This record gives sequence, C-alpha cells and structure tokens, in this order.
Amino acid sequence: MNNIKGMPSKGMLLYFAVCAMAMVWPGALIANRIDPIIIGLPFFIFWYVAWIFALFIGLVISYRQEAREGADDE
Amino acid sequence: MSDSMMITAMTIGYLVIVLLVGLRARHGQTSSLEGYVAGGRHMGLLVLFFILGAEVFSAFAFLGGPGWAYSKGAPALYIIAYLALAVIVWWLIAPLISRLGRQHGFLTQAEFLSACYPTPRNVLGLVIGVISVLAMIPYLTIQIAGAGMLFEAATSGTIPFWLGSLLACGVVAAYVYASGLQGIGWTNLLQGAMMVVIAWALGLTTAEQFFGGVGDMFRQIQSEAPEYLTMPGVGGMGWGAFSTAILVSALGCVMWPHIFMKFYSAKSERTLKRVFMLYPLYSYLLIPLLVIGFAGVILLKDTPLDSPDKVLLTIVVELADLPAWVIGMALSGALAAAMSTAANLAHTSATILVRDVVQFSPRMRALPEQKALSLTRYGVIAISLMAYLLALVNPGSLVSLLLGAYGIIVQLLPMLLGALFWRRSSQTAAFVGLSVGAIITLLLQFGIDAPFNWHPGFCGLVVNFAIFITLSLKRKDASSRSPVESLTPQS
Repeated sequence: MNNIKGMPSKGMLLYFAVCAMAMVWPGALIANRIDPIIIGLPFFIFWYVAWIFALFIGLVISYRQEAREGADDE
Repeated sequence: MSDSMMITAMTIGYLVIVLLVGLRARHGQTSSLEGYVAGGRHMGLLVLFFILGAEVFSAFAFLGGPGWAYSKGAPALYIIAYLALAVIVWWLIAPLISRLGRQHGFLTQAEFLSACYPTPRNVLGLVIGVISVLAMIPYLTIQIAGAGMLFEAATSGTIPFWLGSLLACGVVAAYVYASGLQGIGWTNLLQGAMMVVIAWALGLTTAEQFFGGVGDMFRQIQSEAPEYLTMPGVGGMGWGAFSTAILVSALGCVMWPHIFMKFYSAKSERTLKRVFMLYPLYSYLLIPLLVIGFAGVILLKDTPLDSPDKVLLTIVVELADLPAWVIGMALSGALAAAMSTAANLAHTSATILVRDVVQFSPRMRALPEQKALSLTRYGVIAISLMAYLLALVNPGSLVSLLLGAYGIIVQLLPMLLGALFWRRSSQTAAFVGLSVGAIITLLLQFGIDAPFNWHPGFCGLVVNFAIFITLSLKRKDASSRSPVESLTPQS
C-alpha cells in the first residue's frame, strides 16, 4: 500500500494511532482525574481537548509532507 | 411585543434568510445531474468545510450531546472523541474515493462498491441502496422532529410542534429541490458559522451567569457531584462500552452515505485534505455545548428533567435570564444544526433512491440524464414529506430502524478498505464477512447482550474483519491487483 500516491508516511500513521489510543482505553485511563483544572476544564475533559489539538497538528504536518512528495513527483 | 412573539419573529426571519440564500444558489449552475448531486465536482475549501462540519453536527449536538453530559457526565466525551477521530479515516480514503469517482463517474456509495465487487445484475448496489435509504429516513425524521421540539420550547408554544417541524422541513426541501448541492453549500456555510458562534456564546454565558465562569462551574461540580467528571460517570457506561463506541463510530462515520458522497464533490484531492486538516478545530464546537449539559448537573439538581435532551433548552429558555433576542439567536443556531444535516440527508437519500434503487431496473437505467435529474428532485420532496409525516406519528421503532440499518452499513467498511488497499481481497470473503458481521450486529443490538458490554457494531466489525482476512488469505489464485486497480476506466 506504499505505492499509493498521497498516503501519510509510516511515522504519521503511528502518530494518528497514538492520538486514537489516547482517547480510548487504555490510553485515557491515565487522564481519568479532575485535578488539575486547566483552562477551566477538569483534567479528563482537557485531555480530549488537548489530543484533538494534537490531531490537528498531525494533520498539518502530514499535509505538508504529502504536498512536498507530490511536488517531487511532478 | 411579547418575548415569545419576538423569538418567533427572529426565527422566522432567520428561516427566510436561509431560504433566500439556498434558492439564490441555483443561479449560474449548469443543469446536469453531476451538478445537482456533486456540485459538478467543483466544491472549494470554504464551502466544503462548512458542508462537512454542518452535516456532521446535527440536532444531536444541541440536544443529545448536552443531554449526555447532564445525565451521564464524562462518558459524553465519546461524542467529541469519535467525531474528531473520524477525520483519520477520511484522510486515508477520501482522496482515493474522490479520484476514482472522477475517473469512473460514480455519484453514490453503492456504485463504488458494486463496481469493485461485481454481482449479477448489480444486486449488491440495490441492497446497499435500500439499506442506506432505510437508515437515512429515520435520521432525517429525527432532525425534523428536533426542529419542531426546538420551535415549540423556545417560543413557549406559540409555534406548535407540527408547525415548527413543517417550517423547517419545508424550507430545507425547497432549497434542496431548487439548488441541489450548491444550495446546501451556501446555506451550510451560513448555518455552520452560526452554530459555532452561538454554541460558544451560549456555553460561556451560561457558565458566567450561574457560576461566574467555566472553571468555577467545574469546581462546584467537583465539590457537589464529582462522579460526573471522570469515567465511568453516572449510569455505568464502562470503559469497554465507551472505547468501543468511540472506535466503531469513528471508523463507521465514513460509511454514512451523505458523508461518503461528499468526497466526490471536492474540486481536488488537495482541497479535501485542507478541509480535513481544519475539521478537528470545528469539532471543538461540542465543548461549550457539553459545558451547558454539565451546568444542568448543578442547576437542575432538585428538579431533574425526565428527558435529558431538553437540558439546553430548559437552561437557556427557562432558567437563564437572557433577553428574548438571545433566545431567538440560540433557537436559530440549534435549528441550523438540525436543518443543515436534514438538507444533506434529504439530498443524499433522494439521489440513492433514484440511482441505486429506481434505476436498478434496466428500463429506468436507460433514462435520459434530464429525466433522472427531475426524478431526483421529486425524490427530495417525497422523502422530506415522508420524514415529516413520520415525525408527526413518531413511531417508537424509528430509532431501532436507524440503529439496525446503520449497523449494517458500517459492516461494509472491511470490504471498502479491502477494495482500496488489499490485492488479496476476495469477493466471496467480503460477502461472507459482511453477512456474518451484519447478523452479529443485529443480534447483539436487538437480541442478546454484547460481551463485556461492547458496542454491537464493534463486535460485528471485529468478526467481519477476521473472516474477510482469513478467507481472502486462503484463496489460492490471488489476483495481483486490488479490486479498484482492476476497474476498467469508462472514459
């Protein structure tokens, strides 16, 4: 499946898997507490807000990587 | 002017604006089926971003989401988790689907799958089409009923349920009929932006007014009802149920036909990826709505609601000391969530009904394009009307139909991934996996209890994948190409 144009690199796929694992069992277990309250949110809720941001950053990086590879092809 | 008259007037004004924007969008389009269904495969970043955001976040975001936070607490985070994680699956497969759709002229999901897995007389396409419509009509009905309930509550009964749902349904049907995906695009841009602004304004105002701020609110919940703020919350949704619900919903989200078929409409693969890149930020919309639900834990401690879905309406309309125009805005924002999803559902299910179900018959397949287009438009009206009538009758089996039919659609995921990425994919293996997966899902949904309280669809998907992979590997005469690579270009 590596020969399909426009796929994320192996590193990015791993990164996305980590984002997913962080939001379910067992990853989310370590965040299952109320304190510290950060930006007004209990830690467990903040955990999800933070990982969604991490996901966003990952997509930005993957987009830039894939755009660069696409440019090499042409 | 009394408060309820003011709220009614504002909301009607809002509906008129949506209607005008939606009708105006029909200018400057060519009247082709591809234009009506997929925006001529020319949708740009801004419009596609709001189409996707506004269709994914439905009436459930304003009603069910806060309801979960209020009645269950922390497990409500499953909603934001799966809606954010869904983007990973889109990222991997949407560009391929968009490209193949352009190459082969696909407009529906069933066309894609039945081209990859050819069956005699294309019967797979018919089956997928019928089940898709069976899943989407109840979903549409729920949006229309949600709109009616919002109207009735926010105007204190000035606009009764039947009229509120009729207004919302009528406006949606009118602009989808007239303008197709272009109409949905411009109205979703308006409605999607409104939803974000109104959700944040309401969430922050509620926390500020009753508790002095979001942090203070959560501290008060921490001292009075801390069990709401961590897993397993209240009501005992364990880690197993929580995690499997997130995974199956994130994986299955892409199989909703109204989401899948939007991939065809993108101007380019790069446009799609830009849309997805920004999408997680849109999902933050749920945070302020969950905050309102959590506020209900304290505010409604002594007078619990019998229907948790009404928590946002109860707090905003009855408890908070908000001026009428703010309630009018709040209602418009929540209506926007319901109507923007409803428009996509009506549009997609009419397309599927005509292309995959009606045109299954060889005589109808030969229909000229303009005939097929007008048939699709009448389909929009017919489906909207049917959903409206169902909303009035409100049969209890509606949610079961939705869960059952959608449970089967999710089981198409292994064969879709196989078609895209796996050279050894065997058609027989795909069908056996699909059938067993669907039976297990339905059995666990309606018959026996799922093991470890796992999500029924998740259990079905695990077995489905296992069968698909095992049987495909056993096949001796493995092809050297994946199903999509074997497609012969039509043009």
